[in-house]
Formats: sequence, structure tokens, C-alpha cells
Amino acid sequence: MESQWLKLRVNGKERQLFVRPNALLLNVLRDELGLMGAKYGCGLGECAACTVLVNGRNMLACLILAVTMEGAEITTVEGMGDYDRLHPLQQSFLDNGAVQCGFCTPGMLLTAQALLEKNPDPSEEEIRDYLRGNLCRCTGYAAIVQAVKEVKHPA
Amino acid sequence: MATDTRVLAAEFQYLEAHSTGEVLTWLAEYGTRAKILAGGTDLLVRMKTGQMKPEYVIYIKKVAGLDYIQADEAGLRIGAATSLMDVEGHAAVKTGYSALYEAIRSMAATAIRNMGTIAGNLVNASPAADTAPPLLVYDAVLQLELQDGVRWVPVDEFFLGPGKTCLAPEELLTEISIPPQDPGNGSSFLKLGRVAIDIAKINVAVSLQRSGRDCTSCRIAFGSVAPRPIRIQEAEAVLTGKRMSNELVEAAAQAGAAAIKPISDNRSTREYRLKVSRVILGEALRAAWQRAGGVL
Amino acid sequence: MEFQVIGKILQRKDGVAKVCGQETYASDVVVPHMLYGVTLRSPYPHAQVLRVDTSAAEAMGAVCVTPDAPCIPNLIYNERTVSIPEKTYCDRRVLPLRARHVGEAIVGVAAETEELAFKAMQAVKVEYKVLPAVLDLDEAMAEGAQALYDNIYLGDQKLTVKNNVACERIITVGDPEAAFAGADYIAEQEYELPRVYHHQMETKTAVCRPDPNGGITVWATTQTIHNIRILLGRIYGLPLSKVNVKKLAIGGSFGSSIQMNSIIPICVALALKAKRPVKMASSREDDLHSHTKFPARIKLKIGVKKDGRVVAADMLAQVDIGAHQINAFPLLGCMAGWYASLYKWGDFRFEGRTIYTNKVPACAMQGYGNPQVNFAVESLMDLIATECGFDPIEFRLKNYVGIGDEFWGQGPSVKSIIKSCGVEEMLQKGAELIGWADRRPHEEKTGRYRRGIGVARGFHTSGTGGPKPGEVVDYSSATVKINEDGTVDVMTPVMDLGGGTGEAAVKVAAEVLNVPYDRVDLSLVDTKTTGYDVCTHATRGVYCGCGAVYHVARQVKQKLFEYAGRILEELPRDLELEYDAKKDVTIVYVRGFKQKNITIDEVARLAQIYSWGTIAATDSLRQKNCPPCFVAHFLEVEVDTWTGVVRVPRAVLLSDTGTPINPDMVAGQLIGSLSRGLGYALYEETEHDRETGRLKCNGFITDDKIPTTCEMPRLDDIQVYFAHTYEPTGPFGAKGIGEAALNSVASALNNSLYNAIGIRFYRIPITPERVLAALEGSGRDGN
Ligand SMILES: Cc1cc2nc3c(=O)[nH]c(=O)nc-3n(C[C@H](O)[C@H](O)[C@H](O)COP(=O)(O)OP(=O)(O)OC[C@H]3O[C@@H](n4cnc5c(N)ncnc54)[C@H](O)[C@@H]3O)c2cc1C
Ligand code: FES
Ligand code: FES
Repeated sequence: MESQWLKLRVNGKERQLFVRPNALLLNVLRDELGLMGAKYGCGLGECAACTVLVNGRNMLACLILAVTMEGAEITTVEGMGDYDRLHPLQQSFLDNGAVQCGFCTPGMLLTAQALLEKNPDPSEEEIRDYLRGNLCRCTGYAAIVQAVKEVKHPA
Repeated sequence: MATDTRVLAAEFQYLEAHSTGEVLTWLAEYGTRAKILAGGTDLLVRMKTGQMKPEYVIYIKKVAGLDYIQADEAGLRIGAATSLMDVEGHAAVKTGYSALYEAIRSMAATAIRNMGTIAGNLVNASPAADTAPPLLVYDAVLQLELQDGVRWVPVDEFFLGPGKTCLAPEELLTEISIPPQDPGNGSSFLKLGRVAIDIAKINVAVSLQRSGRDCTSCRIAFGSVAPRPIRIQEAEAVLTGKRMSNELVEAAAQAGAAAIKPISDNRSTREYRLKVSRVILGEALRAAWQRAGGVL
Repeated sequence: MEFQVIGKILQRKDGVAKVCGQETYASDVVVPHMLYGVTLRSPYPHAQVLRVDTSAAEAMGAVCVTPDAPCIPNLIYNERTVSIPEKTYCDRRVLPLRARHVGEAIVGVAAETEELAFKAMQAVKVEYKVLPAVLDLDEAMAEGAQALYDNIYLGDQKLTVKNNVACERIITVGDPEAAFAGADYIAEQEYELPRVYHHQMETKTAVCRPDPNGGITVWATTQTIHNIRILLGRIYGLPLSKVNVKKLAIGGSFGSSIQMNSIIPICVALALKAKRPVKMASSREDDLHSHTKFPARIKLKIGVKKDGRVVAADMLAQVDIGAHQINAFPLLGCMAGWYASLYKWGDFRFEGRTIYTNKVPACAMQGYGNPQVNFAVESLMDLIATECGFDPIEFRLKNYVGIGDEFWGQGPSVKSIIKSCGVEEMLQKGAELIGWADRRPHEEKTGRYRRGIGVARGFHTSGTGGPKPGEVVDYSSATVKINEDGTVDVMTPVMDLGGGTGEAAVKVAAEVLNVPYDRVDLSLVDTKTTGYDVCTHATRGVYCGCGAVYHVARQVKQKLFEYAGRILEELPRDLELEYDAKKDVTIVYVRGFKQKNITIDEVARLAQIYSWGTIAATDSLRQKNCPPCFVAHFLEVEVDTWTGVVRVPRAVLLSDTGTPINPDMVAGQLIGSLSRGLGYALYEETEHDRETGRLKCNGFITDDKIPTTCEMPRLDDIQVYFAHTYEPTGPFGAKGIGEAALNSVASALNNSLYNAIGIRFYRIPITPERVLAALEGSGRDGN
């Protein structure tokens, strides 16, 4: 099993990596690129803590072989915004008390971003439905749903 | 533990295909030692849990011409590498193939639907596979390609048992095609799970044809009540060619419940599945009838 | 009372880091040159480890630690060290010589990558002698049952285990038998509460770095850095000055890290042996085999008089604790306490027993026996109200333990008098909000979908303090310092499990010193830079942890007045503090003569220039009380009588937390607890196969479901209400909330189900399968 070169864009930056075919995107992002925002929660697609955007779509990095990402554009929570330039969703999560332990937060934010790309003004039902694969054990989801509902779109 | 889902501790050769021909050549060469990787939402889970140990993994999402949805008079044709989300998002599916639309929407997380495919769902051959009942009631046909040939298999003949299909190791499922639905058609899908994200405790699809107040034809399929997703002809017969009524729906639902032999597992019990099969079939029939323009 | 920052909704201090993916959890810690560790876990529920052969793994470059290795100390300990040593039952070794549940860690393996470590682990050969497994509570207690242990230890005292009974507690108050004889009506039922999994989102992780001074530095998932430090020091014979445990963010816990997670000492053993840092991050399946919530079987009998007074009660609680005691003995004390403090039983008895089985060990999970006890008591009280024709709310109001009554915070050894109580306000307000007056009896409900309304109330303790030292340790420490520009640093070892304890600490310091919230920050700390704190458990974070911050901040204020007095040439006792919002400065001024003042920034600056020293203090505080934080839940349910599916269309959540320091976070606790409570009541059960002893879900959450966004009521259908109370012994009137928020959810659900369909359930989870079966049995199904 030989390592191979992989070229992709992560958070807008071109990256070249040398990875083994069995390397999971989640571990490559965390261990090779130091992007710790995507979290391991189950490794089986059941919790969505590992959510990243692949070409704008929310996907689960724990079930993706990194080698399949050749040429892809990956966005992690680190690429959403920065402490001095928060993404409106990040700000809304803070304003609405949607963060407790915070472990589900990156996955929630990215999934919500993917939803808003498709549907800028979703109803509460649409938000709940779109986020239903993202588990949160702390909040009971209400504040998260509220945060997505109340996000202030950049003018 | 015997597993470590944090990593994929497997040894395999990764083969990235760019054409169907390439895939078929590799499949011909490696046979059972190879596995197709589409969305990976079943394959990677099975590799992580040690249920599958392919030596070659052939990635098909980069194959030109496997990712499409074509809807026209000839019906609906879906390429094997098309994501579930794209199928769900296609206007023709939403309006003309309600059972398939509802089945996909009931599946997993949006992220999984962005990754997974119908083809993967079918080849994985779970008795609970959500896209199977709708495809069964639509009489969908699967296009299976070999290096030197192609065959078309009705979905009903595709499943053999849990994880087993008639797909040969050298074959690639390239297309799912669904015949066009006549104007008087109505279809629906229903599922019960433990929570909103779950593999079905039980699922059901119905497709029926209305002419005035009569049900001229009807197809019913259940999932998660047998070793494979199954058509329930006993219940179909109750409705076919009959004047539709609440009593008839109830009779068909009873017949459906009487025809299945579910088991108990982690998700539910045999008794429960038997009881609710009648309820969800009755509801699915009513919904389909309404969609076909009928009133009860 | 008007506060400057207390009770205001302000952005959490770790918020930006968390939304940016920049917060460091144990699982994110990376140390240069580190190895990755995994564990080999027993495939058998009960087996003697005869021989371990690690040669193949070592040939792959791995470092291994085995039960018989000299580097594994022979010490038998309990991984939870909250109780005093004489009350601590010990049955565990770093690596066991006998596996007592499927998934018990037997061998630690470390290698250059996680994948290599896993492969090397698979190459380790273990020879077992398989023993009969005990997988049922009754069988475990039967004569002649296979024993899990021959001996265990209570403190240093060696004990013989009989019939697998791990520990027991019997408490009698008054003469319950005579009291029952005098009762007009007696109700008796048995309740069964399941083993469930904490399902915290972050799996347990430990990183250990051997230090050149012979010590270790540890980053770990925990609710208590200091107890880990002390226990690791004891196990490995290290002076505490050479053991440093870092405080980090934690990805949820719910009680599962009160104890030192069992991988931590294994990680340390590997690091010491390899002489390199080792990171051991549990897979979800490892984690699911490490901790579960205490299940319980509770038999309860209550006697009442015609006038609605309860006069006698008797509770028998049996708890299947699995393979190890983590906090079984204090659990029994607490269960007795929760029971004793719900209603004025008059004469009552409690008999509690915990039993060893070959299952995943059970430990505290939000409520620590309280949701279990509450389910039994609140379900039975509701039944009595129906049977005797009492209004359920009136009946509760007549009998509840409230202001001026004695509260058993943690059982018979921790008692204090209740000084604040919002029970009456909550029950009345909740009834109004849910529309109690319009509630119709279940007999009037027909059709497929039936709705019902129900109530239950509960409480939890705030900490485990008390006038005298008890069976559990309880105090906290804090350091507060005013920096040279007048900003403030708060150093607290108290872990924030996500509930906002950190903000509360900042707010308390800011309020005492009249400094704006954004000029106070939390320091990154560890066990070397802070005084002792017992643990963030028992809903003590705000009341005890921030109580210590309050205590210390007041000392700092005193010191500030001393320095300001020197500058202003006034006596410290004549000075006052005030925040001037217009000028955005905090001033120290002379009482009655405000024009004579100086800003706090200026005092701090001058204190440095004049070399007077830093305006800081460090101290510890033990709370002398353990005030109950009360809750009430009013739920509406809708039952689909054809499928047995239960939905919750509406919820009213009420709490009496004293002053809500972080109102948004209190609401978050209540709503989060609603989801966990619904999970407990309706969906969750983490059980073992009776034949193989394996978890039915095999450690995969695929078959261990928790509620998603869709199982919760809509935003507009959840109402949160805070009672207007002030706890005189708490920081700015605050009590706790954390665990209380969960305790009466499942019971309220059960009671509302009765109002919907006329059926009471005695076992949870109330799955659709059980609902349908019950409906059929009662002839009340919708068909
Ligand atoms: C968390 C989670 C939730 C899920 N929930 C549901 C659910 O609610 N309902 C449901 O039905 N399923 C569910 N699934 C299962 C899975 O997501 C679906 O079956 C999905 O459709 C599989 O598609 P895939 O493209 O990811 O398949 P892959 O994993 O890529 O492939 C699956 C199998 O099919 C083979 N294969 C794939 N494509 C072809 C092809 N064109 N020709 C020949 N062989 C092929 C692969 O070799 C493999 O054996 C869930 C999975 C997860 C992880
Ligand atoms: S870690 Fe990927 S879905 Fe849970
Ligand atoms: S905030 Fe803790 S899991 Fe969502």
C-alpha cells in the first residue's frame, strides 16, 4: 500500500500532501494540517462531529478516504471565519447561547452553512430536518436551531 | 476492541477510475478481491468494523458519465455515482416519484445523502435499504455491466438475501432506470425508526394506478420484514381492479401484515413489526391514492 | 436585586474559540515526539488472564504494558476519590488480572501511529481461562452464584464479598411499620430504570508526557484535575510536585469523568515505560465499554391519610453496578437523600443494595440516582393522587420538603436547612403556563392520537457541603488578581463542563470588584498553579466553585481598599467601589464624598510603581450548606395509539436556581436536560446480551440512539421559567441547576402519558413497542 501525492484546496489554500490510501480525511486534516476543528465522535457517520464542506457540500470526514479528495475544495470550521472576522453563523451561535461544551459546534456550523447556501431563509422544520444527523448531547438543540434561524445575513 | 473506528486499519490498493471501461477491466481482473467505492457510507463502515476486507478499492465517483439524472418520456434514469441528495433535489423526482423522494429524504443525515448513492444502497443489500421498496414498486430495472456485456435486471430479482444480490463480482451497476409513471399514478413511502435518523424498523412503499374510483393496479413493497426487501403480492391482489374504499384499504393492509414474517433485532421486535405493518401500509395506501387524485 | 453583570446575558469566554474550532480539548492535544496508544480489551465478560504474549507486537516496534508487568503497580484503588478514604470501596487495578466485563482493558499498546498501535495490539496474544459470567441482578445475588470478587477493600480494610453484593445501606427514620398501619391508603409498585450510556460527544482521551524531573504532565478528559493528580501520584508513587494535570475544555461529560477514566493510568504506564509522551484517545466503542449510568430497580411503598398527608414510605433500591464500584456506596446515600428530601414522609425506611455483575461499570450520570428515585416517587405520587382523588399539584404542595425543612443533600451524613425554595411558585406558574385547569381526564380521550398533560417535580443538591465534614470531600480554591492595568485574572481549577461555570466565575469576580465583564478573564491553569478543588459534580460548580471565587474576590477587594486608602489617605473601611458606566471606569471613592476617588486602574498602576505588590489573593472555601435547586416539569405528550410513537408537543420547564447568574445557560441546561430526559424516558437502553455478555450495540452508537433535532418540541413550544428566589448562602444568591434540570423529566413524561392513554408505565424506556403492548393489554388501543 503506497503513499501517493494528493493536491487539494483546504480553506482556500492549495495543499500538497503525501498520504496512504487508507488515511481518512478527518485524520489528515487534524494530524497533517493541524486543523482540529473537525472532531471524531463516532467514526461511523452517526454523529456528524467530523463534518467538513467538500466543494460546498457537507460531508463526513470520518468516512472519506483522503485520496478521493484530489482537486477538491475543503472547508473546515477554521475556514468559516476568524476571531476578528466571525462568520454570521458563528456570531449567531454565540448570540443565541448555542454553544455549551462546543464539541458538536464545528459540525453544526458547517452543516448549517451548507443549508443556508441552498436555502437562505429556512423554516424551523427545514433547519431541524437538515441538522438531524448532527448530534448534540448538551443543548437540546433549541439554541442551535434558533441561531440558524436568526442568523443575520451580511448585507 | 476488535475495531478502532478512529482509523481505517486496512491494507488495500486504491484505484481511481475515470471511465466505466477502466472499472470493468479492474473488476474483471480482481473479481471478489475488489470492491467498488462510491459514497463509501456503507463500504467504509464495513471496512472499519472488519466485515469487509477488499484488497482493491475502486473509486467510481470520478468516472465520467456515471453522475446524471435524466427524466423524460422514457422515465427516470439515474447514474450509479449520482448522490442521493441530487436525486432528492431533482424536480422530476419530487413531483413524479414521490415514494423515491420520500424514501431518500428519510435516510440518514444530509451529509450521508451528499455522499451516498442509490446504487450503493442497493448493492449493500440491507433488508432495510430505504430506496429498495420504492424501486420495487416502480418496477425499476438495474443496468449491470460486465467488461464484455450488459444485462438488465428488474430490482425484484436483484436481492437474494441480507448483503446478497445477483450482481457478479465482475459486474458494475451503472444505471437505475424507472419506467415513466402514468398520469393516474400515485406513490408513497413510509418508515418507522427509533429516532429521526435511523435505519428502518420497518418501511413500506406503494405505487398505484387510479382510474376513476377504481384502483387498476397496485404495487406494495416492505423493507425490514424479511431477509430482503419484498413485494407483497397478497396485498396487491386485494386492491387490483377494485373500487377503492376505506374497507378495501383496511383489507389490503391486513393482507400485507399477514404476509410478512419479520424477526426481532436491535431495532424492534417481531410483534411490533407485525402490528405496525398494517398501520403504515394503510397510511401509505391512502397517501398514494390521494396523490393519484382519488378521494376516500 | 440590581447587579452589574450577574444575571446579564454575556458572551461566554470560551465562545469565540469554540465557534472557530480553536478550543483545545484533550483529544486535540499534540505533544512533540509522542506515541499513540490503544488498549486490548477483553472479549469475554469474565475470564482470568493467564498469559499475555506481546512479542509479536514488540517486534512491530510497539511498547506494551500487561497486567503482570512490574511497571503496573499492585495497588487496588477506586478511580473516584471524592469520598474520604474510609468510605471508599476499592476493587480496581491499573490493568486487571481478571477481566470482569466485555471490553475491560487488559493490555496497553503504544506505537508511532495509531494505526500501527492498533495493528500491534491485534498481534498481542492473550490466553484466558473463561469463567462463568453473571449477567443478571437476581442471579448474581442467588446462593452459589459465581463471584466476581473474593475480596475488595474499604479504605485499607479487607472485605469479603457475599453474593456479589458490592455494598449496602439501610436507613430507618421513626417507625414506618406503625405509620403504615395508621395509613388510610397504601400504594406499592416496582420500577425498572435502564442502564444507559452518557453519550458525551468527546470520547475519553489522555495524553501523558514524562518530564525530565522524573515527573509527568497529563492532559486528560476529566471533571477534576486535582483528584487525578492525587490518584496518579499515589498509584505511581510520585510526589505531587512532580505530577501536573492541565485544565482543558471537555466535550461533554454528564458524570462520566468524575472518576479518573480508566485509560489515564494505562496511558501513564505506557509513557513511563516508553519514556516518551503517549496519547491515548478512545474510539467510541472503547468509550461505550467504559462507563454507563446506574440502572436501578426500585420498589416503593407510600402510605397516605385521607386528608392527603403522606405518613409513611419504604424504598428498596437495587442497583446493578456492573464490574467495578466507582461510586456505588455514596450513590446509595444519595438515593436515600433524594428520596428523603422529596416529601415529608413522616416515618420511612430506605434499603439500598448495589450488586456486581459482569457488565460495563456503572457510574454517575446527571442526577446521580436522582432521576431513578424521582421516577419511582413522582410516578407513585401521581398514582396515589389519581387513586385517592387528590389534585396532583395540591397533593404535592401539601407534602413537599421546603423552606425551613431539613434537606439531605447527600444522604444521612450531609444535611442542611432549606433557606430558599420556589416550589410553590413553580407549580402554580407551571400549571398556568401549560393550561392545567383545562386538563381533561384520559377517559374522555379517544381516537388515534391522544394528548395528555402531566407534572413532576424534583431537585438536586448544590454541592456536598455541610456544617461538618462528611463522607465526601467538598471545597474549592481560587486565585483572583488585579493586574497592573486594573484588569482582572481569575484562576480556578473548577472544570467547566460546558454549562458556563467559567463565565459564572468571571461574573462573580467582576461583580465583587465592580469591573466590567470584558476586563476579567480566566487563566489557563493546571494543578500546579491552583489550589485544590474536588470536582465539578453534584451541581456544585456555581455554588461551591464560584463561591470560592466570591470569597477570594472579596479579599482582593479588601486589599484594593488598603492600597487605595494609602493613596487617598483614608481608612479602607470608609471606601466604596462603583462602576461608572459613562466613563467606563471603576472607581474607589470615599463613602459620602464621591468626589474624592481614584480609579481601580490607577490604584493598580501605582501599587506596581510604588512596589507595594500585586493586589491578589488565593484561598479555599468550604460551603457550609448544600441548598437544593428545585425544578418542575409540565409536559404535554401525544401518543399515536396505532404505532405507539410518543411525541412531546409542548414542555414547560421551571427552575429555582436562586439568582440565575447566566440566565441563557440556565435555560440551556433546562432544555438540554429535556432532550436527555426524553432520551432516558423514550429511547435509550444500553443493555448487554444475556448469553454473551456483550453490549447489544457492540459499542457502536448505530444501535444506541439519542434524540436528534426532530424529537424535541418546537422553539415556541418550550417555555422556560425561573422562580424568584435568593439563596442567602450562595454567591449573589445563586444555587446550582445542572443535574436538577433532568431529574423530573422522565417522571413528568410518564405522568402525562397516563393522562393521555390511562396507562402507567413502570419501566423505561417507554418505547413504541412497549406502548403498543401496553395499549393492547389494557384494551385501550385505538383500533
Ligand atoms: C450513519 C448512517 C446512516 C444511514 N442511514 C441509512 C438509512 O436511513 N437508510 C438506508 O437505506 N441506508 C442508510 N445508510 C446506509 C448507506 O448510507 C446507504 O446504503 C447508501 O446509499 C450507500 O451508498 P454509498 O454510495 O455510500 O455506498 P458505498 O459504501 O460506496 O457502497 C456500498 C456497497 O455497494 C457497492 N457498490 C457501490 N456502488 C456500486 C456499483 N455502482 N456497482 C457495484 N457495486 C457498488 C460497494 O462495493 C459496497 O459494497 C446509512 C449509513 C450510515 C453510515
Ligand atoms: S465522527 Fe464522523 S460522523 Fe461521527
Ligand atoms: S454543545 Fe456539547 S455536544 Fe453540542
